[in-house]
Amino acid sequence: MKDSILEVKNLAKNYGSFRALDGISFDIPKGKVIGLLGPNGAGKTTTIHILLGITLANGGQIKYFGRDFERHKQDSLQKINFASAYNTLQGRISVWENLLVFAYLYSVKNPEEKIRKLVDYFEVREFLDKRFWDLSSGQKTRVNLIKSLINDPEIILMDEPTASLDPDIADKTLSLIEDFKKNRGLSILFTSHKMDEVTRICDEVIFLDRGKVVAQDTPLGLTKRIGAVQLKLSFDGDKKLLENYLIEESGDFSFPQNFVVVINTEEKLVPKIVFGASKTGVNITDIEVKKPTLEDVFLQIARGSHVN
Amino acid sequence: MSISRIKGILLQELYITKRSLEVIMDLFFFSFVFVIVFGFVSIFLTANVSETAAKFLLLGILLWEIIRITQYSMSVGALWNVWSHNLSNMFVAPISLKEYMLSHIISGAIKALVIFCGLSILAANLFELNILDVGLGNLALHFVNLTIFSWSIGIAILGIIFRFGTRIQALAWGLVYIFQPLTAAFFPVEILPPFLQTIAYTLPPTYVFEAARQNLTNPEINWNFFIVAFIINIFYLVVAIWFFNLMFKQSKDAGQFARLEG
Repeated sequence: MKDSILEVKNLAKNYGSFRALDGISFDIPKGKVIGLLGPNGAGKTTTIHILLGITLANGGQIKYFGRDFERHKQDSLQKINFASAYNTLQGRISVWENLLVFAYLYSVKNPEEKIRKLVDYFEVREFLDKRFWDLSSGQKTRVNLIKSLINDPEIILMDEPTASLDPDIADKTLSLIEDFKKNRGLSILFTSHKMDEVTRICDEVIFLDRGKVVAQDTPLGLTKRIGAVQLKLSFDGDKKLLENYLIEESGDFSFPQNFVVVINTEEKLVPKIVFGASKTGVNITDIEVKKPTLEDVFLQIARGSHVN
Repeated sequence: MSISRIKGILLQELYITKRSLEVIMDLFFFSFVFVIVFGFVSIFLTANVSETAAKFLLLGILLWEIIRITQYSMSVGALWNVWSHNLSNMFVAPISLKEYMLSHIISGAIKALVIFCGLSILAANLFELNILDVGLGNLALHFVNLTIFSWSIGIAILGIIFRFGTRIQALAWGLVYIFQPLTAAFFPVEILPPFLQTIAYTLPPTYVFEAARQNLTNPEINWNFFIVAFIINIFYLVVAIWFFNLMFKQSKDAGQFARLEG
């Protein structure tokens, strides 16, 4: 594929007799954010580690920028970077010193000027002289992101970059990621357990389960595969009338409260059910339609249910 | 080979050394305390036993510190990044193993040279052992052989740490001491039982310590000892690099390298 930054074909990994990755394949096009999701043990972190060259695969092929990763490892790594909540920088030395070390490791030209530009962009100037381990979680995440941009990468692999951040800092971090996706045309492979984040920033999602790709689509496309919606009606009037109608119309419903009914149905049947319910003589006071989220897809996969 | 990447590792080494009390204690403080303690023991030996024994002891500790510091720098240098959860970040940068090793070799050699000079000044001023009595040429050759041996030990221990993780990290600063008696650092080799003498002569530092003790009375270079030690050193270095590569590959294959940081 011409515009692919990363192509993965039939990637396989065994740990002894345990099959961690079972021939997964996917592409990451230029400028796209791809989410890699799945329950614990699905193979997400193993995939990231193999794509970074710090774990060896047992089979398959990885191509960055159209070239074989194994054969052109150093050239590829020069244009890749990595950010993770679980990897931090050297705690004993200052933020500035850490960034300078990485600028040299990536052979950055004019390293001090480059660091200053990024430091201003991420607004971390005031704690440049602090030791890395004295920073708050949010500050550490920002410095990690600076490190991940220091070589002007074409692709960044992010392993749960917002894990352990409070919602406010996580939101700011996601905004920064959105910014540099938009402004720099970066490709990103993003893993997270937070489905709202994935829905927000990913163009496409790959679901892994037991080392296999079980679904791959846009976040919206994936939720549409579930098909069912949850219709919640609040009403005044005779509950029996509504119950009789729903028995005829849709078998899957329940009354969690006296004047509230929850109906599981197809999205296209919602208007018909609401109209029919209003004709039974009860007074509908509130209508709420809950569409499936990526979390529902995740739960279906994690619990072993089939996603179309 | 990239000078920039080597400079990056050396800078990190410098920053960690400056900012870590542990490194300052392990390298500078303990080295000076060892020399002071052994210096006083040597004064006691001079007065009550033999001046030669006293000089052998103090000379031994000065040269031993070259081995300890170089090997410590090599093995513990990687552990600082493991403990900081930074090792993956380092190795997903385009640095090659050769560049990484060379950086630590340079760093260890500089530390050993600086500390050795400081210790020698201390020994000369407080305990009347002028290391220059050994001869400058001899000192340079001894330094070369001792540092190469330390690289081999450091590289092998680094491989074991990468393969088996931090649960065996104590080897990084402890294992080297097994070579202290085996290389006859403080006494002539003939003191050792015959079977240990055989082992001692398979270790390059033994030749260095023997030659250095001879040099106290005869500063002529013992080329035989130097060449034999150098050849064995090259053999050990090749084996250590092969062993490291094997451990590193196994570590990456088992997923251990990526999990080193917990």
